[in-house]
Amino acid sequence: MEDTLPCSYSPLPNGPPTIEGPLDKRRPRKKATLIIFSGLLLLLLLALFVAITVGDYRNSHNVHENENDEALLATSEPSSVSIPSEPVHSVSRGVSAGVSEKSNRVFADHNAISYPWNNSMLSWQRTSFHFQPEKNWMNDPNGPMFYKGWYHFFYQYNPNGAVWGDIVWGHAVSTDLIHWLHLPLAMVADQWYDINGVWTGSATVLPNGEVVMLYTGSTNESVQVQNLAYPANLSDPLLIDWVKYSDNPVLLPPPGINKNDFRDPTTAWYTSDGKWKFAIGSRVNTTGITLVYHTKDFKSYERLDGLLHSVPDTGMWECVDFYPVSKTAGKGLDTSVTGPGVKHVMKTSLDNDRQDYYALGIYDEKTDTWVPDNPNIGIGIRYDYGIFYASKTFYDEQKERRVLWGWIGESDSEFADMKKGWASVQGIPRTVLLDTKTGSNLLQWPVEEVDSLRLSGKEFDKVEVKAGSVVPLDIVSATQLDIVAEFELDKEALERTAQSNVEFSCGNSRGAAQRGALGPFGLLVLADESLSEQTPVYFYIAKGTDGNLTTFFCVDQSRSSEATDVNKQIHGGYVPVLKDEKLSVRLLVDHSIVESFVQGGRTCITSRIYPTKAIYGAARLFLFNNATEATVTTSLKIWQMNSAFIHPFRAK
Amino acid sequence: MRTLVFIVLVHVVFQIIFLSSSQCARLSPNDDNLIEQTCKQTPNYNLCISSLKSDPKSATADVAGLALIMVNVLNTTTTQTLIHINSLLLQSQRNEVKEALLSCVENYKTGVLTADVPVSIEALTKGNPKFADQGTQDAANESNSCEEGFSGNSPLTVENTNINNVAKVANAIVKLLL
Repeated sequence: MEDTLPCSYSPLPNGPPTIEGPLDKRRPRKKATLIIFSGLLLLLLLALFVAITVGDYRNSHNVHENENDEALLATSEPSSVSIPSEPVHSVSRGVSAGVSEKSNRVFADHNAISYPWNNSMLSWQRTSFHFQPEKNWMNDPNGPMFYKGWYHFFYQYNPNGAVWGDIVWGHAVSTDLIHWLHLPLAMVADQWYDINGVWTGSATVLPNGEVVMLYTGSTNESVQVQNLAYPANLSDPLLIDWVKYSDNPVLLPPPGINKNDFRDPTTAWYTSDGKWKFAIGSRVNTTGITLVYHTKDFKSYERLDGLLHSVPDTGMWECVDFYPVSKTAGKGLDTSVTGPGVKHVMKTSLDNDRQDYYALGIYDEKTDTWVPDNPNIGIGIRYDYGIFYASKTFYDEQKERRVLWGWIGESDSEFADMKKGWASVQGIPRTVLLDTKTGSNLLQWPVEEVDSLRLSGKEFDKVEVKAGSVVPLDIVSATQLDIVAEFELDKEALERTAQSNVEFSCGNSRGAAQRGALGPFGLLVLADESLSEQTPVYFYIAKGTDGNLTTFFCVDQSRSSEATDVNKQIHGGYVPVLKDEKLSVRLLVDHSIVESFVQGGRTCITSRIYPTKAIYGAARLFLFNNATEATVTTSLKIWQMNSAFIHPFRAK
Repeated sequence: MRTLVFIVLVHVVFQIIFLSSSQCARLSPNDDNLIEQTCKQTPNYNLCISSLKSDPKSATADVAGLALIMVNVLNTTTTQTLIHINSLLLQSQRNEVKEALLSCVENYKTGVLTADVPVSIEALTKGNPKFADQGTQDAANESNSCEEGFSGNSPLTVENTNINNVAKVANAIVKLLL
């Protein structure tokens, strides 16, 4: 070829291009095209393949949404149980929200030696004046009510063992919420709709004297349904026999609700539109919700379109409770009461952390809406910072009070429960009132009938406990006690103590061994003479960066027992203390249960304690002050408590 | 020209094969994915995978079903360990060792087999998983109890660790249901 300009295609001087040469000159150009074309196709193929696999990965996390592939899919993906892409653990909402740190640690890590429990130690653990059946397993309180002179208490019960299972309804009656008489089982699992469990429910006493019991049954296919039952004979004040409605179940899980997320109906309330309404907890994905149903006859129901309440990331809501409290009067209200002087409590038991929470708000019965006072309250604050679950209230019209029951489980090992042949007690029944001084929490206090168990009392007036000291209290016996104590710190120490910006929480502290300037101080219960076993129940005061004092109350189980197969956590929470208030606490000690009611019941902590040495006559009571600076002055009244002699009812 | 067309056709065929095979992977049960997703959220992925896959029911199980399979593995592992403990007891042992072995029998027979396993199964089958949470947690603790009872010279370390791991995996799966 003649020389051509490198970057131009100007025709050759000797005329237009000639006809192309022979075939072998043509092939290289076609080959190039072919290679390029193949390459492009391969690239396209690769791109498509990548797109599909990426889409695949995304599909397993999100709702199916893939336009390209839909046309190619013969069938759509089966959507079975949706696995959340993160583990469903409850996120700690922090002390400021009134929630103590959730801890999965039951035991002191790996040193869980199975303690050689003997019968003496185990039989000491049974309580004297708290409700528990003669043997076997108990859990949720059910259908508490007052009827024709008797308080009725039903409960989840396993007639066959000391662990959960084969659940039926136990029953007991009392005239004073303290001296209980065991009655025959109220309901057993004898219908297809509750053959797999006669689970939790609530009673509604109608104005005409009828009693309606709504309860959850686990069917022969393990579906959770709601059933109706009522007394066989209303003229029997003990209400021994119960009849199940012939057309049960009255409610099946509604559309959108999982068959395993539909349980624990509340007591019903009556509204101005002539209907009865009840609430029931559930969940949608990880959002806990409360559903509401309307009825006129308790046989057929309509579901409210909206939700009474919901909170994301809380999981399943069990044992929902919904009730009014008076803003002014120091007494309880019937469940149907509404009006301007009333707030409503929305309470939930959270399945995923086994704790009970409540929030205060305003209920509009015309629109069936409930709005929390504090829009940021989330799930709410805890009823009790210790072991207290599946709680339920009822209105006692005899004494015009609202009474709260709570299930107190064991915190020892299953093996020990099997050995001792029983598990769980009920908390002492508590009255519930709005705290009119703070307006933002409830007050819980043991029912006044507990006082009737007080035997001999001893007073200690203005005992001074210097920083870093322990003072024995000389009392007859220390396993069944009612203690009322007041504490005062010396003002100097309060003022001169330096501020700290360290946030304190009972659960994350080192217990009573963690010394601060202004705490811990309180009592050592169920302690032995040498203090090798001791359960400190104490105040801890922290001085924040703003100079303000924040008060906590904790129960320290870390040295409560030489046994290592029991819970050693430190339970407790924040205590609102108003200006000029003295620090006060009431303690009920009843063998393996210790209940603390602080500042008139603003903060409550229930603990299960299992000493091996500090039992029977060897148990002692001490005052202690492990603060570094402050001297504490205490005045106490301590009563020995009688047994409630709870026993089976025997017809005369 | 014919070669070009031929190559294009081959490519198109290849594409179809690729596409349909990747589609096929998505049309089959998603459960391999479910097992993997679930096991990723347990403290012992490999143990979880091998335990679940050894049971053919895992192919079509939901999360509760996988938890049940794991509880079953706990049951089997504990039973085997009890058999081993019994054989150790038949041999002559120092007193402390014998006592510790008997203590382990209580942990496993009374604690795990009679209490934890049946409670967990009932809780999972009936849709009240929190009792299975407690049951599997307790099983892990019982294995710790057994091991520590030997104060360092345990003849059962391998078995106890195994039971502990199985219980913890089961517990992690149960927690997904709460």
